[in-house]
Amino acid sequence: MKDLKAEDVTMVYELPRGGEVHALEHVSFDLEAGRLLTLLGPSGCGKTTLLNILAGFLAPTSGRVALGGDPITGPGQERGMVFQQGALFEWLNVEDNVSFGPRMNGKKKQEVHPLVEDLLVTVGLRGFGDKHIYELSGGMQQRVALARCLANDPDVILMDEPLGALDALTREKMQGLILELWKETGKSVVLVTHSVEEALYLGDRMFVMAPRPGRVEREYELPFANVALEVEPRELKASPEFIEKREEVLSLIWDMEEQIMGHEGG
Amino acid sequence: MAEGEGGQGLATIQIETESRSSVNPFGLFRRTDSADARKTVRFGDAAAVRSKPLWSLLSLVILMVLWWAVKAGDPPLLNDRTFPTQQATWDAFIELWRNGFRNISLWEHTSASLSRVAQGMFWGTVIGVPIGFAMGLSSRLRGMFDTPVELLRPIPPLALLPLFILWFGIGDRSAVNLLIFASIWIMIIAARAGVRTVNLSKVRAAYSLGASKAQILWRVILPNALPEIFTGIRVALGVSWGTLVAAELVGTSVGLGAMIFAARPFFRIDVMIVGVIIIAVLGVLMDVAMRYLEAKLIPWRGRG
Repeated sequence: MKDLKAEDVTMVYELPRGGEVHALEHVSFDLEAGRLLTLLGPSGCGKTTLLNILAGFLAPTSGRVALGGDPITGPGQERGMVFQQGALFEWLNVEDNVSFGPRMNGKKKQEVHPLVEDLLVTVGLRGFGDKHIYELSGGMQQRVALARCLANDPDVILMDEPLGALDALTREKMQGLILELWKETGKSVVLVTHSVEEALYLGDRMFVMAPRPGRVEREYELPFANVALEVEPRELKASPEFIEKREEVLSLIWDMEEQIMGHEGG
Repeated sequence: MAEGEGGQGLATIQIETESRSSVNPFGLFRRTDSADARKTVRFGDAAAVRSKPLWSLLSLVILMVLWWAVKAGDPPLLNDRTFPTQQATWDAFIELWRNGFRNISLWEHTSASLSRVAQGMFWGTVIGVPIGFAMGLSSRLRGMFDTPVELLRPIPPLALLPLFILWFGIGDRSAVNLLIFASIWIMIIAARAGVRTVNLSKVRAAYSLGASKAQILWRVILPNALPEIFTGIRVALGVSWGTLVAAELVGTSVGLGAMIFAARPFFRIDVMIVGVIIIAVLGVLMDVAMRYLEAKLIPWRGRG
C-alpha cells in the first residue's frame, strides 16, 4: 500500500502575451493509502491541474509528487484515470474497452476475459460486454470507464469530475458505486468535483481549494463516506450534521467568490 | 442498480430500430415517418430531412419522360445528330456489350477505367495518410509539409496532364499518376483533420492504461481518425472519377473516356451517351458501396 505525497507543488503558466498564471502555489499533502480525497473548489482553483500533476500528465514548475516514494514523472498504470466523458474508445465494444489496459501489457484476449466479466459484474454491467459504447447511457459509460481503470489494478484512482456530465438521479446512484468500489478494493481515490454535496458525501478527506493563486484553502476530515453504505443516501444527506457541514463549506466558497469579485471591481 | 439505467438505454435503442425498420416497407407511401409524424414544426427541422425513395423514383421517371419528349415530335426538338432516342441508346449498349467499340470490348474500357481509379486511390491513400498523420502529430513536420501541400493542392490535376504525358508517356502510367496527384492532397488533409479530432482524454487514458507511443498511434489515433479518412476517400473517389474520364480523353486509347472521345469523329452520339451513362452509374455504385462499407466499418460515426 502506497502513500500519495505532494511536496510544495507549484505550477506557474506563462501567458503568451506576457504575465503569469499561478495555477497552484505551495500545495503539500500526504494521502495515506486507502483514503478517498475529494478536491472541491471554484473554476480556476487548480484542482484539475493538481489531478493532472498526480496523473503525470503535467510536470509541476517546482515541488515534487510521489507515490510510495517513487517520484511521478509521467503517466503510469499504478495511477488509473477516470475522465468526465469522451475518454472511452468508441471503436471498441465494452469488453475491449475494459480489457484495453491488460492487452497493452501483452495479455491475450482470452486470458483477460474472466477478469473483464468479473469487473462488469462489479460495476453493474453484467452481460453488456458486446455492446457498443454509443449504445450505452452516460451513466453506463462511466461504469465502463471505472471497470477499464480497475482492470490494471492501480494503487490510486484519479477521477476528474467523473459524474459531472450525468443527470442528478444517475449521479446519486454512481456516487454509491464509487463508494462501494472504494470500500471493496481499498484503493486510494482522488476525486475532483465542483459539487459541494458530492465532495462531502464521497470524501473521507476533502480539500477546499481557492483560486489566484490556486491553493488548498482548508482541509477537512469527514465522517460521511465511512458510514454512507450503511445509511440511506438521502437520509445521510438530509442529516443535521451533513447540512451543517454543507452550509459551512458553501459560505466559505461564497466568501472566496466575493473576494474575487471585489478584487476585480465587478 | 444498473437495471434501471440499462433498461432505459435498451429502450432507446429499440425505439430507434423500430422507427427505422417501420420506414422500410411502407416508407415509399408515407408522408412522414412515425417518429416525426407528430411534430408541428417541420420547416427548418433540417436534421429530420430524409431522401424519400418515392420522390427519387419520380424524378427518374420525369427525366425519362423529358428525354422521350425531346425526341417525340415530328420533327423532334433534338435531331439524331444531337441526341439519340432511348431505343437507339439501348441498341447501342447491346451492340457495345456484344461487340465492343473498334475492337475493344466494353468490359475492357470499363475495367481499364476502374483499375486506374483503384490504383490512384490506393497510392494516394497509402502515401497521403502517413503524411497527414505526420502533419497532425508533429509541429515540425506540420511546418515542413505545409508549404508543398498548400502550393500543390490548388493545382487542377488536368492542368498537369500535358506534363505528365511528356514525363510518363501516353497510357496507364500518366493516368494513374495523375489520379494519385488528384487524391493525395485530399487524403493528406483528411488524415490531418482526423488526427486533430482525437480527444486528449482518450490519449491520456490510453497512456495511463500502459499504452506505448506505437500503441497510441495504432490503437487510438488511427481508429479515431477513420471517419475523417473515410470521408476523404469518398471525396477523393468522386474527384478521381471526374479527373480520370477527362484524362482518358487524350491520354489513353482504352477506357470509358477514350471510348467516348473515339466515338466523336464517327458521330456515334449513341455510343457517347452510353459511355456517359455507364460513368454516372458506376460513380453512384461506388458511392453506395463506400456508404455501405462506412456503416459496416465505422458504426460509431456520429454517435459518439
